[in-house]
Amino acid sequence: MKKKMISALLAALMGATLLAGCGAEGKNTDKSDSVSKGSADAIRIVNGKIEIDKALKAYAKDYEERTGQKVVIESLGGGADIQGTLKSYKASDNMPDLFVIGGRGDFANWKDYVADLGDCKWASETNFAFKGDDGKVVGFPYAVEGYGITYNADILKKAGVDPTSLTNYDAFKNAFETIDAKKDELGLSAVCSVAAESGQMYWSTGNHLFGYYLSGGLKREDNQYFDEMLKGKLDTDRAAQFADFFKLLCDYSDKQVLISGTYDDQLALFAQGKSAFITEGNWIDPSLPDYDATFDCGIAPLAFTKEDMTSVLADSPSWWCAYKDGKNLDAVKAFLDDLALSEEGQKCLITDCGMISPYNNSTIKPEAPLAKSLQAYVDGGNTSSWAWSNMPEGIAQKATGVVFESYAKGDIDKDTFVKTLQSTIADYVAQSQQ
Amino acid sequence: MNKKKPAAIGLLAVGIAAAVAALYMDITKADNNFRGPLLIIGLTLLIMGIYFFPTRKHRKIINALFLLPLVFTFAVTVLIPFASGIFYSLTDWNGIDYTKFVGFSNYITMFKSMDYLYSLLITVIFTVINMIFVNIFAFSLALLCTSKLKLKGFYQAAYFLPNLIGGIVLGYVWQFIFNKVLTVAIAGSDSMLTDPNLAFVAILIVSTWQYAGYIMMIYVTGLTGVPKDILEASNVDGAGAATTLFKIKMPMIANTFTVCIFLTLVNSFKQFDLNLAITNGAPARVLGDKIIQSTEFLALNIYNTAIGKNKYALGQTKAVVFFVILAIISLTQVSISKKREVEM
Repeated sequence: MKKKMISALLAALMGATLLAGCGAEGKNTDKSDSVSKGSADAIRIVNGKIEIDKALKAYAKDYEERTGQKVVIESLGGGADIQGTLKSYKASDNMPDLFVIGGRGDFANWKDYVADLGDCKWASETNFAFKGDDGKVVGFPYAVEGYGITYNADILKKAGVDPTSLTNYDAFKNAFETIDAKKDELGLSAVCSVAAESGQMYWSTGNHLFGYYLSGGLKREDNQYFDEMLKGKLDTDRAAQFADFFKLLCDYSDKQVLISGTYDDQLALFAQGKSAFITEGNWIDPSLPDYDATFDCGIAPLAFTKEDMTSVLADSPSWWCAYKDGKNLDAVKAFLDDLALSEEGQKCLITDCGMISPYNNSTIKPEAPLAKSLQAYVDGGNTSSWAWSNMPEGIAQKATGVVFESYAKGDIDKDTFVKTLQSTIADYVAQSQQ
Repeated sequence: MNKKKPAAIGLLAVGIAAAVAALYMDITKADNNFRGPLLIIGLTLLIMGIYFFPTRKHRKIINALFLLPLVFTFAVTVLIPFASGIFYSLTDWNGIDYTKFVGFSNYITMFKSMDYLYSLLITVIFTVINMIFVNIFAFSLALLCTSKLKLKGFYQAAYFLPNLIGGIVLGYVWQFIFNKVLTVAIAGSDSMLTDPNLAFVAILIVSTWQYAGYIMMIYVTGLTGVPKDILEASNVDGAGAATTLFKIKMPMIANTFTVCIFLTLVNSFKQFDLNLAITNGAPARVLGDKIIQSTEFLALNIYNTAIGKNKYALGQTKAVVFFVILAIISLTQVSISKKREVEM
């Protein structure tokens, strides 16, 4: 009888240990509950830009010393699926107070969970805040990024091309011809560094370059071509001009980089001084020293139109949203105000992170060449929006990237390019609205 | 004996009450640190109650209790995720929440979308060719490594080595070879990865190169397992190398073929990492008035649907169908091969 008793206990214990799996889950949530309760004031941020992790943490520490408010930075990135991680946080009831979104597509998932930040001080100091469908400010911009066609100022000077004149198709055509004629003299292997391979570079063509079709030359709030695009329509004349310009870029590009190059290949060509132009933006600033690039450079608008286009596309690449059900919303708002407007906050974003502040009153100026160039556009109000970031998700990767690649390779002609681009977009939009 | 029944029922009742109370607190998110332990205590009592319950099926209960660990683990890691996967494929799940049931509309959308059908087609083509290539190469290498060659241990290790390198790293290395090395080696040529058909061949080459060594190991084991006396007897009877190979060795290792074909079939069908690293769907293929990604295999298509397009429910639907196809193919293949084994 005793033996039986023992074996029963053992069996029960074994079962219980196993089932402790269930129990542990319950315990875990308890634990995280008590963490956020125990330090009810700690603001937790999920940051999607791993590069600025160190600077942010330093700032958070400084902020805690100044105000007594603890801030925890949790950085994701380096290819991590940030939205996937956030979704799992939501599922396990472990949402951070501030989390990152990349645009309309991400926002659609979270729109029921974000807090209205319209009453914050910073909201009135910037053009780059993320607004929800009803126009309420819900996303905090922490940087401005901009792109167009980046030029090597030294080469342009030697070739006798004035970068400020590059504001329309003909100016670019002339500049390309001039430089191409002096290629050997200038030590160039190609005039432009463009990459259009659709497996890895779809974002450069399908998002960035196509972004100029959508909002190039327009006022920030002007969405006419974008709205048309969402109905599956392209403006034939504008698209044709865009196609001509893209062809021009391709014709003066290094062919191998164009059809099979990666981002690194594209960047190397430019940074080593072997090309005069590259279709990237100010995010290449930190990479230039890796190639010992000593030349001066700047950003010109990707002016594909016959008429002058003087603005570059600049916007916040992602935003921070506040979780509506977070327990310390007021502390979050105060923190954001400090990061955006205080001197310490500006120093963190501009000097330490090497970014451009989206806030009008920032007194600290960036030092990197492209950041300086972009800052001039921002200060002068010469920027257009990144309408492209609101396109249906995955459209560049799954749909338009291949169209650009085919055109770059010469598989299709201009008319087919415009026609296919339009039908591809129409199909994709219809599919994504289902 | 009479006292036992009420005691067991008491244990059961207390156990159920405790467990239910704990689960209730979990669902209502009550602040109570005790609910975890309470659940464990409740479940423990429940199991003890079942154990002590006087019935003639006592032995069966004990058997079931001992199976519990395995069944529980299996359920948590396989059955429940699988069931919830099927469930999500019937909703408009976006990775966070689902708002409504959509029935089979995800399935209908999926079979209507051209990119999926194209992926399915090239995946099947890839699977068939890759399976044949890998097995031919692996078997030839295995013959080489079981012959009287010097240094065969070294060869064996060398052929096996590619399989030890992670697929993503391998993919990028080969991408570099195709893009940079080969274009220089054959001066003036474009990278293989810029042509839809050649890019397909490129993935095939890398995949075969990576996997043949692994399959070779299994063939080597099979070939060394062929009894020496049979080989000697056939030699005495005057069988040549070819006859020995086709009439003795191959029939003797028929079960090895089953395993190898099964492994390559399933693995080729699930090809993901090389696909992602080498081409990620590129290059473009012009098909009539449409242009599509030419080398996006099924697994990558599923990944891009869920992550790239943020269509989790549709991605899950594709995954369910992926599973069904895989199950049908591999079960058919195994049953056919098994039959042949018996005949031999």
